[in-house]
Amino acid sequence: MINIDIGATAVAVLTLFGIYSLMAISLNLEYGVAGVPNFGKALFISIGAYTAGITYTRTLPLLAGFEAIHPCGPTMGGALQLRSEIMASQPAAGFINLALTFLIAAAVAGAVGFAVSYITLRLKEEWFLALVLLVGGETVRIVVRGADDFICSHNGISGVAQPFYFVEDPRSSALLFMLLALALALLAYVYSQRLIHSPYGRMLKGLREDEDITRGLGKGVSLARAQIMAVGSVIAAIGGALFALNTGFVNTNDYVVNLTLDVWVMVVLGGIGNNRGALLGALLIALLDRFTQIGAIALNMSGSELEFNYVRFIAFGLILIWMLRNRPGGLLPESRLTTNAHDVAKGLIGR
Amino acid sequence: MPPALLTTSLVNTIQIGSLYALMALGITLTFSVMKLPNFAHAEFVTAGAYAALIVSLSGVLNPLAIMAAAFVVGALTALISHIAVFKPLENREVSLYTLILASFAVGLIIRYILFLMADYFNLFDLRIGIPLTILFREGSLILSNLFAWVVPTSILLVILLTLLLNATPLGREMRALANNSILARVIGIPVERVKNYTWLLVGGLAGVAGALWGLQSAVNPLMGWAAIISVFAAAILGGLSSFSGTILGAYVVAFSENTLMLFLNFNFGVDLAYKPAIPFIIIIAVLLLRPQGFTEIFRRAGDLDR
Amino acid sequence: MGGGYTARVSTRYQGAEIMTALLELRNLRKDYGGLRAVDDVSLTVPEGAIIGLIGPNGSGKSTLINLIAGATQRSAGRVIFAGDDISDLPPDAVFKLGIARGYQEPALYLKLTVLDNMLLPVKNQRGEGPWYAPWWRTWHNEEAKHAERALAVLEQVQLLQQYDTLASDLSGGQMKLLEIARSLMGQPKLLLLDEPTAGVAPKLAYEIFEQIARLRREHGITFLIVEHRLEILFDFADTVYVMHLGNLLAEGSVAEIANHATVREVYFGE
Repeated sequence: MINIDIGATAVAVLTLFGIYSLMAISLNLEYGVAGVPNFGKALFISIGAYTAGITYTRTLPLLAGFEAIHPCGPTMGGALQLRSEIMASQPAAGFINLALTFLIAAAVAGAVGFAVSYITLRLKEEWFLALVLLVGGETVRIVVRGADDFICSHNGISGVAQPFYFVEDPRSSALLFMLLALALALLAYVYSQRLIHSPYGRMLKGLREDEDITRGLGKGVSLARAQIMAVGSVIAAIGGALFALNTGFVNTNDYVVNLTLDVWVMVVLGGIGNNRGALLGALLIALLDRFTQIGAIALNMSGSELEFNYVRFIAFGLILIWMLRNRPGGLLPESRLTTNAHDVAKGLIGR
Repeated sequence: MPPALLTTSLVNTIQIGSLYALMALGITLTFSVMKLPNFAHAEFVTAGAYAALIVSLSGVLNPLAIMAAAFVVGALTALISHIAVFKPLENREVSLYTLILASFAVGLIIRYILFLMADYFNLFDLRIGIPLTILFREGSLILSNLFAWVVPTSILLVILLTLLLNATPLGREMRALANNSILARVIGIPVERVKNYTWLLVGGLAGVAGALWGLQSAVNPLMGWAAIISVFAAAILGGLSSFSGTILGAYVVAFSENTLMLFLNFNFGVDLAYKPAIPFIIIIAVLLLRPQGFTEIFRRAGDLDR
Repeated sequence: MGGGYTARVSTRYQGAEIMTALLELRNLRKDYGGLRAVDDVSLTVPEGAIIGLIGPNGSGKSTLINLIAGATQRSAGRVIFAGDDISDLPPDAVFKLGIARGYQEPALYLKLTVLDNMLLPVKNQRGEGPWYAPWWRTWHNEEAKHAERALAVLEQVQLLQQYDTLASDLSGGQMKLLEIARSLMGQPKLLLLDEPTAGVAPKLAYEIFEQIARLRREHGITFLIVEHRLEILFDFADTVYVMHLGNLLAEGSVAEIANHATVREVYFGE
């Protein structure tokens, strides 16, 4: 049998939980609250990851006072060694580079999300947006994979170390990164929670229920939808950057339709329109992911031929269908939005 | 580009286009009759291919028997998906996004069950083993008996499907359902039964497409999923409603992926790695610029929304 | 948009009182493919009036409402509101200028509470964007004020006790009232109502029209009402327009319309 290091496992699960939370909150804002079917989630997540791939190979050496080495082809090894050394010895450069990564990722993803939402206006049927986003995400992936100099085509970029790589004790280093991920997830949670319980959240829920009526009540729904797509995309891209740092490499193979489905499972499982549900969904999927990994290793060591990773996907499909059939609102169904208007009313009526 | 390459790529276009047509008609039919964009359609193809492979491995090498097995397995997979997943959801009148999501989930389950099976019995990338004979050779252009099986069979099935839709009571009922499901129910069409038959038909054809695909290349659990976007592109070119438009769309997609791609590669140096992007670009362009696809061109026999 | 048109058109209104036109349609036309849904309609809605719009099904009444509200693109003609050409404005801009509308089927947000339905259409809310929304202090005060106003309006239509109910749990008549009450939150000058009493019990239908008359009296709101229940409409309307096959067949006071030979022939089948 294998020994499970409970501490390390907990840190790994919680790190993943933080990263997944960002993704789930972002989809919950877009689909759960505003009703925009973002089946291109992988695209916006990948923007964060690709940005990390680029900054780690281009700006990081500059920040540390070196000349950047081309990360692909024959100089691949040298470039990898250089960024590992920088991450190990110059924490300041690492942190500035991380901030830069977040900034660029947020700006690019936000702009793309904002612009993409206007596609809806050109579509004959509402659900075509789902198809365009799904297909658009895959197209970008294929183009990035085909482009040699971007993130080294299908080879990807490895050695994308998390910012606490310089801490010598690997356990402390992982713990610090976990705290970073959780802090960012908490920030996104508080922000989105306040967003829902505001006049803006009210308008978005109105938009989700009926776009035409909302427009007829004087609301600029196209702008509102563009804004929430931008907000969601920024959060997703931050999640994507962390995702890349967590695995340590950037490869287009990670940002496929299955990743989009993972995020949808989190939201559908936890509760559509409920941020706490999104967090719960993220936690459950993070646990499931970790335990499939452990299960796969255990099964392998016991000499079984069964590939456990396949079981994970089957479980995903079954969970999704069971939820859609039996608990369409998710484990934590949507709660009512409340602003201080409700307190005013309560005070007036006296109950 | 060299003429020999051109001819080979055109042969590929016809061969792959015919298979795309067979699969895309299923997507169009499901969308018209059931109002469902079914992404699990890919897995009906793969399931059929594996049925064909297993039958052929068991020693049966008659192509007709192989295809019959593929039809039955594809049809049953589709019907089970309907009864277990889609029907209960439709009865609850869930949103289209829920149905799309459910179709992904169904696809996921079937695909990875096939993965488990292929892994356990070591059935990766095997070709359905009917003996290969060369019928025609001219320079680099080789036509084997596979071409003779794949192309005529696909075309024959497409013709049979068109006849079924236009000249049989079931076809009339399916068209009525596609046109107006509420009206269809009111005038006494047995909606549930028609839907069941439609699923059997759609799944069966997808299964046969899988068998034919396995004849010409190799069977693996991802084969249907890898083709699904091309197939969707074909169906979208047909406006998700027109039969003739879908068939034309299938050949347009196959042509773009094969002949056009090679042409771009030879004359403009476009990397062949971008080939998978072609159906994506077609889908986005059609949805944005011409959502009706080819439907305006064809307003005649075989159109479901007539 | 805007600019060119400045002259106010006067019309006769009931007791020879001269009123200014709030809304004016000039040769408005709408074609759907080969079908002409609205054909060369010109009419004037004086400020402060209750105007009835009647006609058989398919005569183009709802299309006319949609054209005014900006929900449908015109084929020809112009819509003038308070002196401005609003023919090409989108629905949200039309609403902001002061034209609110009701639908045949009450178009409420069924999954939001009555109070949230009321607050949604309030114009220029600070907390209505992703920037200010998270900072409660920036919009709490105005939200409280809007809430007070919403509750006052709800009290007038006797929905105050239901403020925290989901709109889906209201009765049909209450939904109609809520829809009218909600459109008031945008402080409209003109309310377009498409069959406000459809599917409502006779007693409540009369109540709805009494609310309409009160709103005109107390807030000076102008009404253009499509209605099939002529017996009620005729008790409240100042002027009635009759549409038939996309055309304006007749216009006049209630008495004139009720005795109009062609109208009786077309509409009452006499």
